[in-house]
Amino acid sequence: MVEAHTADLHGETKRKHGDEKAVVNREYLDRLIERFKDLISEVKQVAYNQWVVVTDRENLPKLVLWWLEESGFPETQLSTMVATDERPINGKFSVTYWLSVNAKAGDIYVGIRSYLPPNDLWIHSVAEKHGGANWYEREIMDLLGIDVKNHPDPRKLVLPDDWPSCVYPLRKDFTYYDSPPGEKFYPYRKTGEKEVVVPYGPYHVALEEAAHFRLYVKGETIVDCDYRGFYAHRGIEKISEGRLTYEQVCYIAERICGICGTTHSTAYCEAVENAAGIEVPERAEYIRTIMLEIERLHSHLLNFGIACHLVGYDYGFMQAWRIREHVMWLAERLSGNRKTYGMLTIGGVRRDLLEYRKQLVQEVIHKINTEFRELVDKALSTRTFEKRLEGVGVLPYKVAKAWDVDGPLGRGSGRDFDVRRDHPYAAYKYLDFKVPVQKEGDVLARALVRIDEVFESTWILEQAIDEIPNGDIIAEYREIPPYLEGIGMTEAPRGENIHYVMTGENNRVYRYRARAATYNNLPAVPDMMRGNTIADAPLIVASIDPCYSCTERVQIVDVRSGKAKVLTEEEFNRLSIKASRRV
Amino acid sequence: MAVTLKYPYVKLEAPPEYRGIPQIDPTLCIGCAGCVNVCPADALLRIDDYENGKREIVLDVGRCIRCARCEEVCPTGAIKLTNFFEAASLDRRDHVEVVRLKLVKCHSCGRYADYTERQVLKALQIVPEEVIEREALDEKVWLCRDCRRKGTVNSTIEASKEKGVIR
Amino acid sequence: MRPIWVFHLNTGSCNGCDIEIIDLLTPYYDVERFGIKLVGSPRHAHAMLVSGPLTRQAYYGAKEAIKAMSPEPRIIIGVGTCTCSGGIFYNGYPIYRRPESGRVGSEYPRAGGIYELVKDIRDEGENVGEVVYIPGCPPRPEEIIYGIAQLVGLVEKRLSYAEYTDGMVKFRLPEGPVPERIRLTLMERLRHLVGYLDREEILNEFFRLIEKAEKSDKPKEALRKLVFEYCQSCKDLRLAYVMKVLEDEYWRVKDAISAGQEFVYWI
Repeated sequence: MVEAHTADLHGETKRKHGDEKAVVNREYLDRLIERFKDLISEVKQVAYNQWVVVTDRENLPKLVLWWLEESGFPETQLSTMVATDERPINGKFSVTYWLSVNAKAGDIYVGIRSYLPPNDLWIHSVAEKHGGANWYEREIMDLLGIDVKNHPDPRKLVLPDDWPSCVYPLRKDFTYYDSPPGEKFYPYRKTGEKEVVVPYGPYHVALEEAAHFRLYVKGETIVDCDYRGFYAHRGIEKISEGRLTYEQVCYIAERICGICGTTHSTAYCEAVENAAGIEVPERAEYIRTIMLEIERLHSHLLNFGIACHLVGYDYGFMQAWRIREHVMWLAERLSGNRKTYGMLTIGGVRRDLLEYRKQLVQEVIHKINTEFRELVDKALSTRTFEKRLEGVGVLPYKVAKAWDVDGPLGRGSGRDFDVRRDHPYAAYKYLDFKVPVQKEGDVLARALVRIDEVFESTWILEQAIDEIPNGDIIAEYREIPPYLEGIGMTEAPRGENIHYVMTGENNRVYRYRARAATYNNLPAVPDMMRGNTIADAPLIVASIDPCYSCTERVQIVDVRSGKAKVLTEEEFNRLSIKASRRV
Repeated sequence: MAVTLKYPYVKLEAPPEYRGIPQIDPTLCIGCAGCVNVCPADALLRIDDYENGKREIVLDVGRCIRCARCEEVCPTGAIKLTNFFEAASLDRRDHVEVVRLKLVKCHSCGRYADYTERQVLKALQIVPEEVIEREALDEKVWLCRDCRRKGTVNSTIEASKEKGVIR
Repeated sequence: MRPIWVFHLNTGSCNGCDIEIIDLLTPYYDVERFGIKLVGSPRHAHAMLVSGPLTRQAYYGAKEAIKAMSPEPRIIIGVGTCTCSGGIFYNGYPIYRRPESGRVGSEYPRAGGIYELVKDIRDEGENVGEVVYIPGCPPRPEEIIYGIAQLVGLVEKRLSYAEYTDGMVKFRLPEGPVPERIRLTLMERLRHLVGYLDREEILNEFFRLIEKAEKSDKPKEALRKLVFEYCQSCKDLRLAYVMKVLEDEYWRVKDAISAGQEFVYWI
């Protein structure tokens, strides 16, 4: 399907400004099969660009690590990992590592799967050799009780501190609304002998959500960082499997994140559509694209504003958010909600794009192209702004790849990786755009990537408005057959979102796994922080544009003097702003 | 350039496309509970009271996520998302709207059926006149499911007796 | 009017409400003109702006934060549907609910959200002041301003508990120029064509044309002419296309019904 379209539409297209889109390419899968012929027991195709390879658990890490580290495939990525309690179907548990290649090489996702007997649940750790798998493996230990042998950091990740041990919510014998009580306990990384940890007050969340970073510092320089997040873990996957029907999951999927909601519901809808083979009308694909790009615009403007605020350039903060407000009003008029919530449904979109709405979009595009351009010119010619971002929080390419970071963070470190181009979805296969990549890997590089993306977005919007075809906006489909699987992928403003769906009976999802971009990006934060000063920490965290996190409740433990002081985010941000004055 | 909005000193309307709080129009609601089935947040409730023959459709704006699924499925257009947004209140009870409808009382056994009178009237409006005998229908619809089934069985038996199929 | 210093507390929200709260500080809304200021510590705050459905992980921190405020006035401003009642997440496993609230009941007003914590704190003998609920998912910045304005006495509340019974209001079956069955079929067709929002307006427009057309001897030709005229006069190409589809669909359904055939919406 994809090949045909790209060939037709770009054969004699008028503008050739952007990159070629990737097309489905089985070559990588064939090479995997050729290399590990004897170890693979089954290969099946689950969707047009998705295959599942079954092997036994002894060899699971071998295959995964070969793909990620040794194969030499371009920009390989551990896209997500799904563990499923399949006892009601076949009496086993399954663990699947979903891998992909990027950088225009080919549109393919390969799931490498092992089945585990329910009375002997363990796998060998991949995280031991590939950091990117760290959180995934901690999560399945938490939620399904699968033991991961030799895991470097087997602490609790997802569940609340007071969750009792040996209760695994994602197993099928757990009712979705149960909530067993327990004792509160969390093993933070130990500090040295003389150090005192002063738990300072409750949390202050000025900009982002609740999460807990502990910085270990020597004087002004950060030597280590510990993170405890998941304050916002709301059990979405279990609610989707227990209470909600296919249609209703769209509304909880977009509430995974308040900024990039539409990308999540698009990814979910795509996963179901891929699994059940529902063809989305072209008009709906275009409207999805328009909503996604509007979302990218307001998200990047937001992040630009926050970056300005953190370097003490409040003029930029206010101006960016003033421009952003027009995008919000536009979203409100197109979708009925400022966050573009409630626009997606399985098989299409719920509101149409009438002529007057197209004009509204065009007006906003014009506004951004003029006013934001002006603001960017001003900001980039301000010395504070540039000096404060340059060389801070450097994430080298190799480290970026080891943590599987994605989105502007990865592209700022030279990873040539954009789901819109490498795994085209919605209407991106028909549209023309460039993927900005910077090599420096510092905060400035990420900011520049985002700025470029804003203008690419307006260009995509312009094309989509022009080219939108006529027709229905929701596809007709009868029933979704049970026990089919598929993944949906989108490029959120923060990076790659992957949603996995296994369909079930009674109009319900059997297994739903959502992976947001920040899930891959946050574990890389300690690596970016090391060697920087405390004043840079807020900037670094903000530069990955975290969804889940915030720098509130940061404790600073001075390793050398043994003193401990704790800052609220405001003091912390003030420190950062003060540092800018020195520039 | 001052851009700050004067709200709340000046009234401000949300755009017509805005999804504000939903409201049930009690003159149109038939109590079919379609909205209850589709509501992802369970902001809408159906509470049946078979003792007193009442069905309550409850809408709690304080639970509503404003997805407009209810508006999408409502067959009479009774529930609609307005562009009204000033719903803040110190009392959570202010967010609740309740519509109480009568359940059908079976003409034969006197028990309450699990559908409302208005639902029956609406169903009669949809049924095409050409297809169905109106009078026979009018008698039957006011019976509960059990009595209707009994009636059908009895009339079949009688008809069979007349024809001499059974004795 | 007293100034209010507020502290922002996230109890596991999706970020939507939090961004709207930051939005309040930006040029278009600028709540500092009411003397409202975001402060960095709950000890300085009069009011707590809470967002999120209260997860178990956030519960302890949130409790400490509220207790750290001075006991008077200790106002709670619940921003967003999640804070009012738990929202769409209300009975997920990591969400905190008091045992007596239950997890699958059909009580109303719906339980959940920040009130569970407020009750816990009051049970411990601590004072908690007024609680303002601002529903919305997420609420518009105006909506939050309205809630805060209510607190400082600038505006009156506009919504109140409503209860209707069969006897109080007369039942009204919607009447139109076309049989209800056809209307419902066209509504469903239009949902797939333009979505739930615009369909009613378009359908009413179409019914006006039908009403005119039915008056003539040859309704089919008359309707075709009317639709053609409508398409020419309206500036929206999409509307013209929809109207044309509607015309075909109307005759397909109508002919099927008058011929006594079964018809299905999906062809």
